[in-house]
Amino acid sequence: MSRLSLVLFVAQLLMMEASAMAAQESGYDENALRVESRQGNLQILRGIDGKVAARGGIFHGPDLSDLVIQSDSALAEAKVFERDYQPGQWLAGLGIATLGAAIGASRINDINPVIQVGLTATSFVSIAYGAKKLHSAYGALSKAIWWYNRDLKR
Amino acid sequence: MKSRIIWALIACACCVVLRASTADAQSSDSTRGYDGALRFESFWGNAKIIRGADGPVVGTAGWFRSFDVEKVVATSPPALAEARVFKTNNFRGSVVGSIGALATVVGVVVAANGSNAASPILIIGGVGAMGWGVQHMNTAVRALSRSLWWYNRDLARHGAPAPTVGRVDPVK
Repeated sequence: MSRLSLVLFVAQLLMMEASAMAAQESGYDENALRVESRQGNLQILRGIDGKVAARGGIFHGPDLSDLVIQSDSALAEAKVFERDYQPGQWLAGLGIATLGAAIGASRINDINPVIQVGLTATSFVSIAYGAKKLHSAYGALSKAIWWYNRDLKR
Repeated sequence: MKSRIIWALIACACCVVLRASTADAQSSDSTRGYDGALRFESFWGNAKIIRGADGPVVGTAGWFRSFDVEKVVATSPPALAEARVFKTNNFRGSVVGSIGALATVVGVVVAANGSNAASPILIIGGVGAMGWGVQHMNTAVRALSRSLWWYNRDLARHGAPAPTVGRVDPVK
């Protein structure tokens, strides 16, 4: 009788081991994140099914910190993303708008050339600085997702 | 009878300790395996494929870039399928987008040098082709994202070898 109980107990332990391994594998399948862009909007998708976990639109990014809060390294990168993404979009948008104004000003014959030069210079500086911020934000987003997915495995 | 119970308890305790240590080893192995996982950073229509959080740039894919993503993710069949989708759409998007941009520029130049019936057709057709090209480039980048996701999944699961293709630069 005691031998039977011992055999049953060991079998149960082995089953627990197998289910723990399956759970570890399904952790990535169900929870790992990836980034996709649809019509210019950022989407963060989760798992094989690709459920939308967070979505960003024009002039606002996805709430990344809440999503990756479980991983310290991911959270640090998420904060960099949130710091740079929105200002980057605003600056790039401002630069494009100023460029449009500069082109419009060039059509006016008696406009002060300083205004035209000022508008053009502002537009280029805004676009360049906005692009730099966005580049930093996209880099941080990629790293945040990478760290989050890595720490899922722990 | 008592000794049998004691032996049974000792056996169980050994199993529990063994299981705990195996789980720890598996966990640290899978995290170590994931350190070779790939990610990408997109910039101006191109995507730098990077190994690890701060690792080397494996290659750059995008606008007319012939970097072979299929070779890098060859160890994972689902990743390979997505890499093929990336390759097809990236090529189509690059070609059609470039033709569209060229047609638009030619249309604008023709329109600026006097009225010509061809200029509106060139501009409208060019802008349409550029839009179509951008759509395909977006599809390509989505496929790249999925491809790397599958590759990393299979890497963490099986610890697949990670072939390195193309130039390897440290991330700036």
